[in-house]
Amino acid sequence: MSLHVSNAPYVFSGNTTRVLMRDVVIAMIPTALAGIFFFGLRALLHILIGIVAAVAAEYGYQKLLKKPIRIGDCSAVVTGMLIALNVPAAAPLWITLIGSLVAIILVKELFGGIGGNFMNPALTARAILMVSWPVAMTSFTLPVYGLGIGVDAVSSATVLGGLEATPLQMFLGLIPGTIGEVSKAAILIGLAYLLLRGVISWHIPVIYVASYAVLALLLGNDVLAGILSGGMLFGAVFMATDYTTSPMTKKGQMVYAAGCGLMTCIIRNFGSYPEGVTFAILLMNIATPLLDKYMGAGRVYGKGKKA
Amino acid sequence: MPKNSIRGGVHPLERQQGGKASTSNTPIQPYAPSVVELSMSLFLGKPSTPVVKAGDHVKLGQVIGESGGFVSLPVHASVSGEVVSVRPKMMMMDQPEMTVTIRNDMQDEWVELTPLGKNVESVDPAAIIPAIQAAGICGLGGAAFPTHVKLTIPAGKTCETIIINGAECETHVTADHRLMLESPERIVQGLRLAMRATNVNKGIIAIEDNKKDAIATMQKAVAGLEGLSVVSLRAKYPQGSEKQLIQAVTGREVPSKGLPIDVGVVVLNAGTAAAISDAILLGRPLIERVTTVAGCVKTPGNFLVRIGTPVSELIEACGGYTEEPYRMIMGGCMTGLCVPDAAMPTGKRTNCVVALTEKEAKAQEEGPCIRCGRCLDVCPMGLQPYRMRNICDQGDLKKAEACDVMECVVCGCCTYICPARRQLTSVFKNTKDAIAREARRAK
Repeated sequence: MSLHVSNAPYVFSGNTTRVLMRDVVIAMIPTALAGIFFFGLRALLHILIGIVAAVAAEYGYQKLLKKPIRIGDCSAVVTGMLIALNVPAAAPLWITLIGSLVAIILVKELFGGIGGNFMNPALTARAILMVSWPVAMTSFTLPVYGLGIGVDAVSSATVLGGLEATPLQMFLGLIPGTIGEVSKAAILIGLAYLLLRGVISWHIPVIYVASYAVLALLLGNDVLAGILSGGMLFGAVFMATDYTTSPMTKKGQMVYAAGCGLMTCIIRNFGSYPEGVTFAILLMNIATPLLDKYMGAGRVYGKGKKA
Repeated sequence: MPKNSIRGGVHPLERQQGGKASTSNTPIQPYAPSVVELSMSLFLGKPSTPVVKAGDHVKLGQVIGESGGFVSLPVHASVSGEVVSVRPKMMMMDQPEMTVTIRNDMQDEWVELTPLGKNVESVDPAAIIPAIQAAGICGLGGAAFPTHVKLTIPAGKTCETIIINGAECETHVTADHRLMLESPERIVQGLRLAMRATNVNKGIIAIEDNKKDAIATMQKAVAGLEGLSVVSLRAKYPQGSEKQLIQAVTGREVPSKGLPIDVGVVVLNAGTAAAISDAILLGRPLIERVTTVAGCVKTPGNFLVRIGTPVSELIEACGGYTEEPYRMIMGGCMTGLCVPDAAMPTGKRTNCVVALTEKEAKAQEEGPCIRCGRCLDVCPMGLQPYRMRNICDQGDLKKAEACDVMECVVCGCCTYICPARRQLTSVFKNTKDAIAREARRAK
């Protein structure tokens, strides 16, 4: 019998990086299924390509540079899935492939891998895709409810681009948009799961949407349509909450989320894009080190008390 | 800050009720070991000097090591019998400790005992603190700091409240829980004696609300006694940590680099209070304590263990292992020390012995920080563990001190919660030790 010796503590919570990332994947399944239901099997193809490309890129990069292989932490699965859910189903499949490679290699691994990147990999990739292939990234189609793989649907403007839709249609997802962003109902199921499992706290999603609503109200926008259309809810739940690129304290997270909401509204009203979520979150990602520096520390117990 | 609770904190082994379920209902059984090994460093402070030699016959409770000064204690024989050896031996610390080994003759022949009085009221207050030192009493909760030093209130300070720590928030330990259920009167007497010695008229017994039966028992025990009360605390680790307990009970914070007395408080462990009662009212030195034995043993339980009993004998008293142990811990799973060898003796601070299987206790590989912020949420001191680790890794002690690493209470919450299994607590402990060594050298 040999006894092992190490420093305390000797027991750990069950939430490993892998478990947390797996939970994020599970939370995205409802919205992925909604996307497949509305846009057909082509949406599933995007998702599979996104995941496989992201995991393969991470494995290949780490193998090539003789780094520890970390694909087991499932974070690449999350990134790949996020990218696929962020493209329109009608976009060419190689768009998702390129997005995954860019996200993993350029944004994540070159900055040191998981925990090291300063911008959200999936969002940065989306921004690069948007400016590189603007037509492909904005060829939105109306939901087809079919299982077709080809691009047989009719191109359409989005709600933010001027399309008329009822709040119920927008809530259920019967509107054009990217694969994962259309069904708000499915996104809320994912949010409930993330909160229930303690993966994220309410702060970022709630404050993001609330601060958007306040400014939109002041600017005289249709607040409900603004929340239920476009990628805001998807961004607030799955993108802005990325651990690595959001502040670490609740205080910092609240300022960050408020910044996301306000910037989204400002870009939507005054920018040249009808949608502002991507750039709003990326901007606040860049502000995160600053927020951590100035809002990262709470008061230390017993400090400033007379001994 | 929630009332009667602490900032941050975790619930380790929550689904297994903190590992306490297997022993919280097992009454304390006395256990007589065949042999005891008594280190002259059973407490924090200057080691004692052995005053016996191999071949001597000693009685139970006889002084075998003399106190080395004020911050020191005498050591008493915890069995009667023959001294086998007096020699330096490697124990759990990094230096060999002078150790007296006694073979138990099972006669339990006591030295002559002289109680200070029959009841609390009849005891001379000035005689209490010296008698506590003479009885070899130190904190039985884990730190083993000499109790008479704590009770000697420095000039210029006043003590308003004595708190009995019955939080017992560590995993697996139920020793104080059982003691509160089985000997509430000894704990209350000990508290009253400590109050009498320090001229304090407020005593609080603080217990976590996962021990409802102990709260009820202690409430009954203090009923009708002026100045005494029981406080129920919302169960959360590390509430039993002295600074955290004071905050939960009084709402006050011990100042940085200060002591509990700076906020008018002295904290004593429940077992320590019982030992004070025995020392003053029965004249008995501290020769045994309640120790929980839990984990992968056949019949886990609570034992009245003679100080210096080999761990292996306690395991046998529990019917042996159910599975091969991978790790053996003295104390709980959050702050305990790993036992390198089952032949190691228990000490005055050993509230628990836990044997863990490989599946339960295998160390996991460290991954990169994913910046999830959980360590900030759980730190009871309000520190930034992820940042402290980065700074400690740079090896610059000045910088490490500037990021408040010295405020760390080494509770283990950040390491427990970290999804990337980062080694945080052990890095902080090593850094704190290095800073303390550096400060001593500078003096």
